[in-house]
Amino acid sequence: MSRTYAVAAVAVVVLATVLVGGFGLRISRTTSDFYVASRTVRPRLNAAAISGEYLSAASFLGIAGLVLVHGPDMLWYPVGYTAGYLVLLVFVAAPLRRSGAYTLPDFAEGRLESRQVRRLVSVLVVGAGWLYLVPQLQGAGLTLKILTGAPGWLGDVLVASVVVLAVAAGGMRSITFVQVFQYWLKLTALLVPAIFLVLAWRGDGQPRVTFDAHLSAFRADHPLYATYGLIVATFLGTMGLPHVVVRFYTSPNGRDARRTTVAVLALIGVFYLLPPVYGALGRLYAPELIHGGDADAAVLLLPGRVIGGLGGDLLGALVAGGAFAAFLSTASGLTMAVAGVITQDVLPSRGVRHFRLATVLAISVPLAGSLMVSRVPVADSVGMAFAVSASSFCPLLVLGIWWRRLTPPGAVAGLLLGGGSALLSVAITVSGAVRPPGWPHALLAWPAVWSVPVGFLAMILVSLATPRRIPPGTNAAMTRFHLPEALTTGRQR
Amino acid sequence: MSAEPTPRREVVTGEPRRVRPLPRYRTQSEIDEQTALGGAYVRSLMRGQLRAGLTAFAVLAAVVGTLPLVFEALHSSAVVWAVLGFAAYPPLTLLAWWYVRRAERNESDFARLVEGRPAP
Amino acid sequence: MTGAGYAVIVVLALLLFGGGLLLGRRTARPLRTSDVGTPVEHATFETLHTASLAAPPLRAGLTGDSARRSARRLRSLLGTDALCLTDRDGVLVWDGEGDHHGRHVMEQVAGVLETGRDTAFRSDCDDLDCPLKWAVAVPLTVDHRVLGTLVAYAPRESAVLARAAGEVARWVCVQLELAELDRSRTQLIEAEIRALRAQISPHFIFNSLAAIASFVRTDPEQARELLLEFADFTRYSFRSHGDFTTLADELHSIDQYLALVRARFGERLSVTLQVAPEVLPVALPFLCLQPLVENAVKHGLEGAVTSSRITISALDAGSEAEVVIEDDGTGMDPQRLRHILRGEGGGSTGIGLLNVDERLRQVYGDDYGLVIETGIGAGMRITVRLPKYRAGVHGS
Repeated sequence: MSRTYAVAAVAVVVLATVLVGGFGLRISRTTSDFYVASRTVRPRLNAAAISGEYLSAASFLGIAGLVLVHGPDMLWYPVGYTAGYLVLLVFVAAPLRRSGAYTLPDFAEGRLESRQVRRLVSVLVVGAGWLYLVPQLQGAGLTLKILTGAPGWLGDVLVASVVVLAVAAGGMRSITFVQVFQYWLKLTALLVPAIFLVLAWRGDGQPRVTFDAHLSAFRADHPLYATYGLIVATFLGTMGLPHVVVRFYTSPNGRDARRTTVAVLALIGVFYLLPPVYGALGRLYAPELIHGGDADAAVLLLPGRVIGGLGGDLLGALVAGGAFAAFLSTASGLTMAVAGVITQDVLPSRGVRHFRLATVLAISVPLAGSLMVSRVPVADSVGMAFAVSASSFCPLLVLGIWWRRLTPPGAVAGLLLGGGSALLSVAITVSGAVRPPGWPHALLAWPAVWSVPVGFLAMILVSLATPRRIPPGTNAAMTRFHLPEALTTGRQR
Repeated sequence: MSAEPTPRREVVTGEPRRVRPLPRYRTQSEIDEQTALGGAYVRSLMRGQLRAGLTAFAVLAAVVGTLPLVFEALHSSAVVWAVLGFAAYPPLTLLAWWYVRRAERNESDFARLVEGRPAP
Repeated sequence: MTGAGYAVIVVLALLLFGGGLLLGRRTARPLRTSDVGTPVEHATFETLHTASLAAPPLRAGLTGDSARRSARRLRSLLGTDALCLTDRDGVLVWDGEGDHHGRHVMEQVAGVLETGRDTAFRSDCDDLDCPLKWAVAVPLTVDHRVLGTLVAYAPRESAVLARAAGEVARWVCVQLELAELDRSRTQLIEAEIRALRAQISPHFIFNSLAAIASFVRTDPEQARELLLEFADFTRYSFRSHGDFTTLADELHSIDQYLALVRARFGERLSVTLQVAPEVLPVALPFLCLQPLVENAVKHGLEGAVTSSRITISALDAGSEAEVVIEDDGTGMDPQRLRHILRGEGGGSTGIGLLNVDERLRQVYGDDYGLVIETGIGAGMRITVRLPKYRAGVHGS
């Protein structure tokens, strides 16, 4: 497979990111044009931007890889990523927007009126962000390795440097139009080759794909538990992810926030119809990936394998470009979210704006992690970030928005016990100290089933035990979260 | 005729013009000032929204919670493919759309309740 | 013994006596100085430290919360068994033992609240273990108003306690007076906002109506448009809902203002608006950007023969929004501007800048004041940074 096209595609994507993200699109209007000030970001546009940023390496490569190796049970991942937005919609979307919070620490401070809770949430946000960043960088490393034979670490370093460059050049601008473009690019990059792949498959006589037990690699000796762990983590973890929360600020009001979330659901649902195709076809055409090698590479390899020739090269280039777009967009969104939290809450002095330093910090720790830790399938490691988020941020958001008796000590207890235990389990699993088979490994690798209830219980029980610490502004906060917009302004919009 | 009694006079004044009306407390201001009454309104709205949310979540949880067991029982990967790969997404979107309609209707009902009510 | 011997003995005795006297005086005198601190000095440090720790909560005024937070420290300052703080209506906090006496406190201090005079009373109760037998009640007054009382309990009558309680109460009153000062400072700023609103209207209303009137015959459609914009603009300026608004609303109002200004000055003024949709929901204090744009318009137009240009941009910057208002007009002397921002500049020029700077700093902190780049004849560029989220800031 000729690699030049693929490398060229990657280079184009990287350059475009630096230029556009760094120097930004200028939307100038002179006064002879209609005024911009009354414009808001329409829900569908915002939804495309959110989807564009949300579809990460896990979505692009990871799902297909896991499906190829372990079979259709792995499709719970994309269903989980999508259903997570449904849970977010139902419990969190409109109230979170109405709280006016930009990040999760903002929400914690506004609801609980406590700086200690704010600091603890910041630490956990940074941790979850780093956990999510590591697989993005590793996915980039893998992609470059496949495409160019470069050493595994080069891609990681490349993505990290590009992110730092783009942010350092242009500040932390979040540009809606760029992210909208990302969504359509990613969708096209997967859809077009998929069409050709399916055509080629039909041309081959439609060979059946089998997922017999003896062909599937060993994943977990308690697959039912692992499935439920995956479900709980993804369904309940989406709402707290750093780069998801900050996107709510852009909606002008709670009502639009809800509509935007529905649109996001639809858009990513459309996208997630595609990775299974790659997974199934991968089994047929790249079976060697099942037992050795990185299955995450399936998406990248298939066009060349199945179609071959110039067409295959071009399609492979398209896919590679889309993959890199996925890494870069999610990585920069996450880095900005994490760096923002670091600037506000972790770095000591506020006088000088430290976000360049914060950006370097935000990306260098996951970079180090990605280089040191051995590769775990991308979708699984993203799942770990979801588990931490589900165990700490889900109780905080749900109880903070719907329960009047939440207190700062309760929140701290829930965050420490829920999030802390999930984080600990993840760390132990990654370090390889506990190996499969056996229940210890299963419990630690998919902690959400027990750590989420732990988080909720801790928060509830400790809050009930400290009724004197209920924040005085609770009633006002509840009113603000739930009152529809037309009544708060007192005039028709 | 001099013995006619002088006609009586009666005191006449204009009618009182400025009648101080009782202050009418709008429901909106009850909510703004967070009195006990306003709190009751907000809590009723919250209950309605929570009910809608929990309904949607319960449907989701019931279906999703049982699916892995169903898959185990059926042992057919074709079914898993069909459901998780394709059939799951439209219902998710429809459920979301249902919830949004419900929540918006709750809110407009509430708005009508607050604005239409005269002073209690 | 010879005479010399006697003389030697007498001299020795004198020397011994003198030496002993000196030594005795030296050791008898208390240690005046010590590098590490005498016990008295240490006690003073402790007291000052405790007093300084009790201060911050009371800066919020005499409330249940502040009383609760400071009571323990106040009690340790006095060294009593129990301390009670009340306001005019009831007991705010009871620190120490014997809180069953709390029921009777308000009757006892009724006189203190009325007259503002200290008083003492016996506080016997049936409980044999209760150490509280006597109490002194001191009023807490601010500006000749009695806000509450401080009551200290002891096992026996003690004039020392009475004096100490009086001193502690005086010190608490200082903190409460500072709290009142804080409150009046806020009221002053609110009054300035109201004055600012009034400042915009008369001058501007006259000019705008005059401009609209000039269109009525020649271009009735334009006149109607302008009238509607004018109505909308004044409605925004006078609305009373809350102290904060969104950037979208503020920019919208600025846009209407500019439409009205352009109606008057036509092609002499060109304005560029550059707004990132992502920052439209940001909440900011009411009428913070309007005065800056007016300033730019004024500077851009006065004395300019050719047309002038104004640029207004609002961009996303991570967790902040950055608003830049730039004009290429006459500019201002930087020194004079510094004086104005320090509050020393007289006259009406630049009052808007000072007010906006003060309000931004008051709401967001000293890091978020105005940043102005200017020079005489060099135009002016004002940068405003607005955090996307701040506790207590909600655009309605």
